[in-house]
Amino acid sequence: MHCNCGNTKLLIAAAGAVAASAFILLKFCRKKKLTFNDDSNVVYLVQLPRGKRVPSISPFPLKLETYLRVAKIPYENVFSSQFSTKGKTPWIHHRGTDLGDSQFCIEYLNKQFNVDINAHLTKEQRGVARAFLKMVEENLYWVLACARWVFGSPSRAGFPSSMNSLVLYFIQRKVKQYAYAQGMARHSAKEVFHIGKLDYQALSDFLGDKKFLFGDKPCETDCGVFGMLAQVVFNQPDSPHYEVIKKEFPNLERFCWSMREAYWPDWDQVLEKA
Amino acid sequence: MGSWLSRKSKFDDTSNTVYLMQMPRGTRVPSLSPFPLKLETYLRMAKISHKSILGFSLSSKGKIPWIRHRGKDVADSQFSIEYLNKEFGVDFNAHLTNEEKAVSRAFLKMVEENLFWVLVCYRWFFMDPKDFGFSKPIPWLWLAYIRRMTRGYAYGHGMGRHSEEEIFHIGKLDLQALSDYLGAKKFLFGDKPSETDCSVFGMLAQFVFSNIESPHCALIKKEFPNLERYCHTMRNTFWPDWDQVLKGDASSTKL
Repeated sequence: MHCNCGNTKLLIAAAGAVAASAFILLKFCRKKKLTFNDDSNVVYLVQLPRGKRVPSISPFPLKLETYLRVAKIPYENVFSSQFSTKGKTPWIHHRGTDLGDSQFCIEYLNKQFNVDINAHLTKEQRGVARAFLKMVEENLYWVLACARWVFGSPSRAGFPSSMNSLVLYFIQRKVKQYAYAQGMARHSAKEVFHIGKLDYQALSDFLGDKKFLFGDKPCETDCGVFGMLAQVVFNQPDSPHYEVIKKEFPNLERFCWSMREAYWPDWDQVLEKA
Repeated sequence: MGSWLSRKSKFDDTSNTVYLMQMPRGTRVPSLSPFPLKLETYLRMAKISHKSILGFSLSSKGKIPWIRHRGKDVADSQFSIEYLNKEFGVDFNAHLTNEEKAVSRAFLKMVEENLFWVLVCYRWFFMDPKDFGFSKPIPWLWLAYIRRMTRGYAYGHGMGRHSEEEIFHIGKLDLQALSDYLGAKKFLFGDKPSETDCSVFGMLAQFVFSNIESPHCALIKKEFPNLERYCHTMRNTFWPDWDQVLKGDASSTKL
């Protein structure tokens, strides 16, 4: 009778390899369950780990955290790669409620804490504020996403240490796909830079000499604009976007410093903990 | 893209006519997409000699509309306008202050990069196709393919991750902003239209004239009537031949 020992050993080895892979994958994918104190009024802000040059390498967590500081809402950071039900970050947890999308979070928090940092704006100014918020979050955001992830290889400089090259690879793949879907990635690098420059021009011309977009008090849109511009001004000092801001729109850099000094006096301490 | 078309007799590259490649006409609006309507409104406003070529020939960027002028193809409605401004010495933003130009840019982007996706999601995911206003019913296989592709695009953009209620709410906030800024003015920045008016009209016309069964149309009628008034102003001023265009006239030819 022919001995099947060789085949059996192969089968056992294959089964072992599959089991080991499944174990490693499960261990990697299974995220630590987040626990919150639902009795307290604290807002838990779930976001990616701190960057080395900016508190968040993504504009939306920085926008949301800046808003929490401007509105003086008690909050606690939870640094995690767990995404919201919409598959994105940041998101918040408050008294048993999970909420994704930075703008929906702000609307929720405005109601919960009876806050309105747009209260000093006229109706017309609110309209303009909304327009600038959307320009920055739905247009400039994609300009910067393409500049960082689509054209050329993304640098890890300034990123959290936990984001290794493999993570960057997967992020880059996704962003390329999303940027094509949104439309920005259909343009050339030169065209995308031109689109971004027109947005900077608009922001700079509207800001003028004012401290914040609408005067001496910041509004929600200032948080959104700061979250976006901080990525360029503080996190990408070698990029052509920062070069054009420094050279042609210096009031935008001045604005970033105003927001940082007013609402992030602990900026350096925050980064040092990363 | 242009090579096989050049074999056709549609383009005369020696003339100064601008050829606008766009989708076939809708039954209620000259274009069911806001961007061709924006571009064609701009051409009318600028009194630039133009002819629409109706078909589904996509640009080098895989989209529609695009233009051809003296043998040169330009894709993307905003790049097309920038090109035409230079070629024909046009500037509809000349009467605006720097601050107004900035606000103009902001509203342009809000409408084209945010409200547009509200329109897309509503039209393709939540509306009955018979209410779209296409000249012919869409074959079910084609409809399934477009819906699948649109879901992917909307998810990639982000709007497709929200619920119907959330998408409606986002659209309402944009319409509120437009309405509050327009106020009682004839156009966005006063008595003279600007570039952004072409785009805002292109977008709002979809809600006001085409998607008349949609909740956004009902919302505009009830809470933002100045936006409906604005659409009629733009239509009466730059599209006095609206009804003739929908029936098919000499301003366009099929590919």
